[in-house]
Amino acid sequence: MTDTRYLALGDVVADELFPDVDLALRRGRHIDREDPLWYSFLSDAQAHLEAFYRRFGCELMHPADGYFYLLPTSDRLGRRHLSVPEMLVGQALTLLYLDPATLQHGGVIKRTDALSHLAAVMGGDALTRTFNPKRKRLDERVAQETVRSKFSEALRRLATLGFVELLEAESLRLRAGLLRFAEPVRGRGSPAEALERLVARGELVLGDGADISEDDGEQEQEPEAEDALEPELPPQDLSDFDDFGETPSLDAAPSLDAKASFEPAPEFDALPEFEPLPEFEPEDEE
Amino acid sequence: MTDQAKDPRIVLSALARSRPVLELGTLDLLFLAALHLRADGAALASFDEEKLAEVFEQVSALLEPRAERLRRRATHTLQRLRDQKLLARVDGAGLLRAAEFSLTRLAASIVESFLEDEALTRENLTLLTGSLRVSLAEILTRAQAAQAPEAWHTGIEGPLRVTISELVNGIERRQRSLDLEQQAFQVQIARLLESDWFGAVDQCLELLESTSRTLAELNEILLRDAHELSSLLQDIQEVAVAASAEGAEGAVQRVMEQVDRISAWGAARQRAWSEYYQYVHRYLCDVVRLDPSRALIERLREQLSQHTTRPFALAVAAAPAPRLLREIEPFKDDKPKVTRPRAERERAPTTSDAPDPHAIVEELVQGALARGSRGLCEVTQQVSAETATELQFVTAGRVAQVVARLARTTHDRDRQWVSVNDDLVIEEWQIANGGPRD
Repeated sequence: MTDTRYLALGDVVADELFPDVDLALRRGRHIDREDPLWYSFLSDAQAHLEAFYRRFGCELMHPADGYFYLLPTSDRLGRRHLSVPEMLVGQALTLLYLDPATLQHGGVIKRTDALSHLAAVMGGDALTRTFNPKRKRLDERVAQETVRSKFSEALRRLATLGFVELLEAESLRLRAGLLRFAEPVRGRGSPAEALERLVARGELVLGDGADISEDDGEQEQEPEAEDALEPELPPQDLSDFDDFGETPSLDAAPSLDAKASFEPAPEFDALPEFEPLPEFEPEDEE
Repeated sequence: MTDQAKDPRIVLSALARSRPVLELGTLDLLFLAALHLRADGAALASFDEEKLAEVFEQVSALLEPRAERLRRRATHTLQRLRDQKLLARVDGAGLLRAAEFSLTRLAASIVESFLEDEALTRENLTLLTGSLRVSLAEILTRAQAAQAPEAWHTGIEGPLRVTISELVNGIERRQRSLDLEQQAFQVQIARLLESDWFGAVDQCLELLESTSRTLAELNEILLRDAHELSSLLQDIQEVAVAASAEGAEGAVQRVMEQVDRISAWGAARQRAWSEYYQYVHRYLCDVVRLDPSRALIERLREQLSQHTTRPFALAVAAAPAPRLLREIEPFKDDKPKVTRPRAERERAPTTSDAPDPHAIVEELVQGALARGSRGLCEVTQQVSAETATELQFVTAGRVAQVVARLARTTHDRDRQWVSVNDDLVIEEWQIANGGPRD
């Protein structure tokens, strides 16, 4: 511990990088050598921060592939599981990361390459059905549009988690964190055993991430154009993406209630003083 | 080239007017390349028709061994290349004897771009920057001694435009070759791994190390020498400014820009290669060394294709953003309330105190009649004296009306017109009994 520049946790917390790195880790970001300042900060402060985050029910992970991330082992800090599109896109990107052909461009690929690779491995029909799970009858054009939009959304989310870096001109840079998607098949044992081990460590859960995420009760916002084209289709029940950015229900619920009680409601007091405009009069009468 | 001539719009317009076209097939390019190599090897300045035909036959035999009527095809090819200004006749003898041809600058550039160029190395860069330094030092000495404009033109401006520019262009050309070489290395590394995977690690590392070393050395030389070159150029520029030698000053400026570009290249390439180096190095350590049998890709491909039947989901931290509660402030209803206006928009007419001109006239007429006026003209004169000049005409009519109402008037059969004042003439009425109507 003495070979680092931090002698105590206080020194780590006092570092000006700490707030940003801490927030990024808590939001699920994977920090690798492409973020040189953050990575070297974490490397130096690793011993202090491991103990620090353990008190929050999290493990500061540092695999040999060279990246850091926070793995929640309890419900104290809040966690989520990646959705089906995120998992599929993540694995396709990992395949590309491992492909020697990607080396030629220093890990930079086109978005379209990633989608076509995913379609090639899974099969176009299987991919369409997986990305349109609630539809019984598929309109080809609408289904493909949905695949593209969910693919883009998954990419965006993976970028916020530090698995990829979105560049300009439809390009993206693959990052070391992607190797997490390959963990179940990295060992020499069977994938089932590896999955069991990873589940026990809390690295992953079996099943679809969307079904087991903690705030999956929200309705999917069906695009208006799709509704117009396919009115006979049943509305989508759950969104694979609606959990993003939402507050997990664990510790956040009380604070939501508390906030509601603090909120003044001036508009209700003020309403009677308003003189209703002519068009509002019928409503008032009712 | 003057500044005006370098204006891209002017240059492009001139180019558009001349409508240049280049249509070269493989045979044409090979023929040009063969001529270029032959000229280099045998130190030939030009080719006679026999030699051209001979070279064409060799190239044609290489590309299309079964081609026939080679002489005729050679004639067509020569004509096509001459039309595109790639071959030029240089003997100037016209019909007197058989022609001699040489490659034009355009043809030489095209061929050189296809032939492998010498890449930048530590040795040739040191040699080139050394020559540049010596030449610039000589030019500086000449500039300090130059007096006449002719001396500036031949001793400073000319060498800067030709000798120095050629040397700098030589460095830039080699830089471009090195760029191509690096691209080829990147492709080669990918291919080596594709074909040999774990066995290619050492070769890949060697390629990476050698290129990194080369770039670091080149950048070091460029940083050191570019500083000296810039310093010399700045000295020449100062002397040129002092001597008001605008041509030389412009030439120095252009060379300075070229030198800046060359030194910027070194830093940029080293940075880019450094990123690539780190990426490949990590790949070799994290992926290739940890998966020597290359089974991971296959197993991952299988995992992805079966994800829908055996799904799993990675867990990530998702702490909510810190919630910052704001201070509670009592609601202030500062805004004006939205109400329907209750007051009547239309207002009732009100009585104002404005003087009634008719009443005034009537009062004045009554006064005049009371004073015993005998005629309308006399009454009008008295009333007009009390009113504004611009109202006299209107007032005269009102006076006549009031007089007719208040007094009995008589008049002769032939009514007389009399002047009230300089501006007004009226018909005269006699007022009977000289007083008001009873």
